Amino acid sequence: MDDGKIIREITMLVGVSVALALVVNYFSPRGIALVGQRNTAKEIISANVAGDETYRIAEIDQVTDAGNIFYEGDTLFVDARSTEDYQSGHIPSAISLPVGQFDEHIESFLKRYPPNQPIVTYSSGRTCEDSHHLARLLADIGFSEVRIFINGFSGWEAEGYPIE
Amino acid sequence: MNNFIRSIINNSWIELAARWILGLTFIYASFDKILSPADFANIVYGYDLFPHVSINLIAIIIPFLQLIAGLALIGGIYPRSAAIMIVGLLFAFITFLAINLIRGHEFDCGCFSAGQSGYTGSSKVTIIRDILYFVLGIQVILFKGNRRTTFGRLRSQP
Repeated sequence: MDDGKIIREITMLVGVSVALALVVNYFSPRGIALVGQRNTAKEIISANVAGDETYRIAEIDQVTDAGNIFYEGDTLFVDARSTEDYQSGHIPSAISLPVGQFDEHIESFLKRYPPNQPIVTYSSGRTCEDSHHLARLLADIGFSEVRIFINGFSGWEAEGYPIE
Repeated sequence: MNNFIRSIINNSWIELAARWILGLTFIYASFDKILSPADFANIVYGYDLFPHVSINLIAIIIPFLQLIAGLALIGGIYPRSAAIMIVGLLFAFITFLAINLIRGHEFDCGCFSAGQSGYTGSSKVTIIRDILYFVLGIQVILFKGNRRTTFGRLRSQP
């Protein structure tokens, strides 16, 4: 094995990757800032995208707030995780809408719930973005009262709230 | 036994299959991250292992390392170097996953994707899967002889 040749090749592959990454990120509408713009309070990174703020969906970042909404009873909790995760434990009366199978499930969802149905989406936890994806998808098709419970199922469970 | 291992390492069909499996896997894994860098950055934050100023750059660059290395493997361009890159990335992923598993951290929902919860797997499963890919990568690195091209013909390759 010619070490020099390998090093040159890897340098070239890495160089192409880095250059391409920076160019694509610069021109992509979904590109992000090179240095973080993390909203540490919410533990969510905000993309450096024009108009991003208008695309932001309200977040619930306290488990107790989510708990109050839950006990008020008007809001539908929607579980963005996989069916298996949902079946092994979820927020009581939450319904399953795995974000990966959104298209397959959304028709029956639309039949059951009106566009003004208050909805809170959640996924496995703060580092999982599925709840955000699901909230965006639901907002895009016309649901007007969507919020995201960012602590997710792990936060809910850790605070001792009921599960089923 | 040694001869058996050597015959596997130097089997050009296994080498071709390993490059395709790794190449397709890495291209697929890069796709969603490239489309949603902000989501991937959030997952990288979740690993809680890197200085915050570096997170966005990691999230921007890693998917392209995966993409380029994957394309190079399938195209037979610098296959050994591409495999070394992939093995390096896998080593890093396995290490980060293992650290968080040991720390008992709650884990993100996507290694392949930033938003496909149908494909969730536990960290342990992911580590085992990554180790299998790692072994495939080692085969590609250690292979001596003429590598097969994607179209089945042999071509000279040092």
